[in-house]
Amino acid sequence: MTTTNRRATLSLACALATSAVLAGLPGLPAWSQTDVSRAANFIQSTGQALVNAINDPRPSAAARREQVAAILRRAVDVEGVGRFILGRWWRQATPPQQQEYLRLFEETLIRNLAARFGEYQGVRFQLGRTQRRTEDDVLVNTIIERPNTAPFALDWRVSEVGGQPKIVDVIAEGTSLRLTQRSEYSSVIQRNGGQVSALLDAMRQQIQQLAAREAQSQR
Amino acid sequence: MALLAQWTMRPPLLAFLVLATLLAGCATRPPADDPEALAEFRQTNDPIEPFNRTMYDVHEGIDRVVLAPVARGYRAAVPEPVRTGVRNVLGNLRSPIILANDMLQGEPRRAGDTLGRFVINSTLGLAGILDVADTWFGVPGHTEDFGQTFARWGIGEGPYLFVPVLGPSNPRDLLGFGVGIVADPFVWFGQGAVVDALTYGRGGITVVDTRESLLDPLEDIQRSSLDPYASLRSIYRQRRQVEIENRLNDAPPAATGTGFGIGTGADGQR
Repeated sequence: MTTTNRRATLSLACALATSAVLAGLPGLPAWSQTDVSRAANFIQSTGQALVNAINDPRPSAAARREQVAAILRRAVDVEGVGRFILGRWWRQATPPQQQEYLRLFEETLIRNLAARFGEYQGVRFQLGRTQRRTEDDVLVNTIIERPNTAPFALDWRVSEVGGQPKIVDVIAEGTSLRLTQRSEYSSVIQRNGGQVSALLDAMRQQIQQLAAREAQSQR
Repeated sequence: MALLAQWTMRPPLLAFLVLATLLAGCATRPPADDPEALAEFRQTNDPIEPFNRTMYDVHEGIDRVVLAPVARGYRAAVPEPVRTGVRNVLGNLRSPIILANDMLQGEPRRAGDTLGRFVINSTLGLAGILDVADTWFGVPGHTEDFGQTFARWGIGEGPYLFVPVLGPSNPRDLLGFGVGIVADPFVWFGQGAVVDALTYGRGGITVVDTRESLLDPLEDIQRSSLDPYASLRSIYRQRRQVEIENRLNDAPPAATGTGFGIGTGADGQR
């Protein structure tokens, strides 16, 4: 049954006016077919690879995490996302600080995502609607289903980087990961007198904690 | 909700909050010759950040000692199907408020959904325990509150506020929260000791249910963020914007329309 039909059934059951219920499906945005379908295919194949890696029962937890990390490294525009997140502080950082930041950022991002996805055993995902957001961004909606958990929406912002589709943002239930993290990092720098080095210290410490936790979960 | 509300909105506490806000140091506004910093300051919308951070610490203290342990105990003691039933009942009891706000926002289709859900779930759903409107008829719930309605009417959010126990908010949403309690027919329905007990009981259960639904997401933020206060602020404001624009398709939290009830992109919260 389509959504419209089910809605109509309910309205009938409640003796409600169906006209109000059926009124106005949102118009579809104008899109360019090739790019949008390419982005959707990219998320479909990346998502499938991630799901396979997460649900593979054979390797150890550490090996599984490494597999997930490898897929993410290929699929995410780590440098672009990192620069976006550092925002206005990027230009205030010295070149060595920029290099160090990108290195730490990649490690934090991959470890955090790999640790989170690693807990998603039994996960399945469904591709939803794909829509063009800006000139170079396409948003791909997916629904993530896990056993014993309500399904939730995860949207992927995909952009062409060097001729290849890459993930530039993940939006969970309407919350953009890169916007949230930009807020977080900027706040750390501001509260330490505008010192980018303070952020780098905090990131180093966080990576140590993440590594310690990974070692713990292996035991 | 009522318990939380009456505790939070009691005049002396409110007066204290206002006074403390006035007395607290304001965040330093960046100089005019740094347009990027100024733009970020406006974007962040947290001019009383030092005060808010103090309130956040107060909240963390209460949360560590009371709210989180109670929520963990509730999750451990009560089996999941029962918790879902409790959440469904709470969500169903919120229907009149959601319906009123659907109508005040001029959304007949969403109002129809809410009314239909209320009728179906209150009867076939055994007083709201089962969400049959979703499972049988495929009409999932959605959330609305007066804060969102005020936003749709063009009222600005005002400066960011962090309220202990209630969580992230702003003057508009805090006012909407208060109006939501006063306007709730179930708060005014009947009188006497039994009714009072039910009202307070509902308030208490709402707090526990909300906190339980947030155990994982909040733990995740605490674990992964270098500045949980800043992360929560950003998540709340983004999430709120999406809710106001009705861009989310998923079902509502049973809980309140402001604060933690919607603030954190709750994992698995329906």
